[in-house]
Amino acid sequence: METNLIVEGFKFMGLGMSTVILFLIILIFLMNAMSKILNKYFPEPQASLEPKVGSKPDNKKTIAAISAAVSHHRQG
Amino acid sequence: MKSFIIKLLTILMLFSFSSVIANEHGTSNADALKHKEETYKTQSFSEMVVGFLESTGVNALINPDPDELNSHGEEMSDFHKSWGRVIMVFITFLLFYLAIKKGFEPLLLLPIAFGGLLANIPVADIAGADGFLGVIYSMGLENEMFPIIIFMGVGAMTDFGPLLSNPKTALLGGAAQFGIFGTLVGAVALSQYGIVDFTLQQASAISIIGGADGPTSIFIASKLAPELLGAIAVASYSYMAMVPIIQPPIMRALTTDAERKIKMTTLRHVSRLEKLIFPLLVLVLAILVLPASTPLIGAFMFGNFLKESGVVERLNDTLQNALINTVTIFLGLGVGSKLASDQFLVPDTLAILALGIVAFSVGTAAGVLMAKVMNIFPGNKINPLIGSAGVSAVPMAARVSNKVGMEYDRSNMLLMHAMGPNVAGVIGSAVAAGVLISLFQ
Repeated sequence: METNLIVEGFKFMGLGMSTVILFLIILIFLMNAMSKILNKYFPEPQASLEPKVGSKPDNKKTIAAISAAVSHHRQG
Repeated sequence: MKSFIIKLLTILMLFSFSSVIANEHGTSNADALKHKEETYKTQSFSEMVVGFLESTGVNALINPDPDELNSHGEEMSDFHKSWGRVIMVFITFLLFYLAIKKGFEPLLLLPIAFGGLLANIPVADIAGADGFLGVIYSMGLENEMFPIIIFMGVGAMTDFGPLLSNPKTALLGGAAQFGIFGTLVGAVALSQYGIVDFTLQQASAISIIGGADGPTSIFIASKLAPELLGAIAVASYSYMAMVPIIQPPIMRALTTDAERKIKMTTLRHVSRLEKLIFPLLVLVLAILVLPASTPLIGAFMFGNFLKESGVVERLNDTLQNALINTVTIFLGLGVGSKLASDQFLVPDTLAILALGIVAFSVGTAAGVLMAKVMNIFPGNKINPLIGSAGVSAVPMAARVSNKVGMEYDRSNMLLMHAMGPNVAGVIGSAVAAGVLISLFQ
């Protein structure tokens, strides 16, 4: 029993590391598969539409604010 | 008329019955009083003063009570009853300093240190089976309840978005678990050469410090080696707090200047549905591959699922705040009860502290090296600096990756990229813990 303690440790390491890595590799495959399936069958409608609708007035406001600030700065 | 008589009879019966009980009660009370009077003997004032002085803490520290047993009901040496306690009090003061002045994980280190201070009080026996620290310990640490509840809260705080948008970074979180198993070999090697005497269970419990995950360490320690819990928890939380000091030199040593400046592609948007399904996906995988890991992963994913469901905001809020805070107080005090001098001031503790830092460093290095290996293969390049975030220590390790990256290129924001391996590291160390548990079943 005394002699094989380190060997035991290496056995634990082999099993443990391969389980962890294998678990995560399967998980990576599942994650990729899930995102493909979800994007194909349940695409998020607002993901492509909302930013366009939402960002335009914001842009105008920002541009207005910036130009106002610039002109104020030049005057002062 | 008949019913009236019956009622009257019942009332009479009840009355007599209750008076009998009252009588019995009264006699027992009288007995107790008599008993008390018998045990208390009148003393002269000088005898009272001497008796009081004998019960002071100073006396207990200078003249240790030879009959005093530790919290497990075992004999303790005189050193552990006297000077050992004084040393432990100073160690807890040092922990206070580290927590308050240096900001080392104060949320846990302060309750742990104060618990340790209370556990080293002579006479009062606060950490004993009937003391309040002992009660807290048996309430939630002996049965591994508190770390599980903490895990639920951590799950509710975790966002798997960065991992979902770049799944392959999960491998970095896996590689960093090499710290656990490398240290396991180191610990059994030390016992092999007779430097310390650790069983395989104890070695496993120590090596899980490399997972850099407080609740997991405590969970495994209380399952496999409860006698080492105090030292393991203190080592684990102090090293997690020292991540910004331990990791950067290793990260710099293992990477070239060009590698540190690698810019990663921006993360894609992750839909809500993906985030909602992900916890179930991990749990189902854990059920199929490694049921021994499901107590940890199940609790973690429960918290995350509540958060991502978006319909139980109140429960989510409780998990993230009230519940995790309450349990953190109890967990800290319960761990502190294991800082009693007879359990902490042993040579093993030094070995645990040494092995713990080795575990941390090896884990960091393995994560960084894994990123370099992955860059050999075609595909989007990974900045090796995020590999170090594969040791869990959420979110500290990810912040360290970001900080080191910014030192070399101020425009390189690695934080969100590093969160991927960071949360994968939590899953990875829970799986590693499951493997260790399954090996000892």
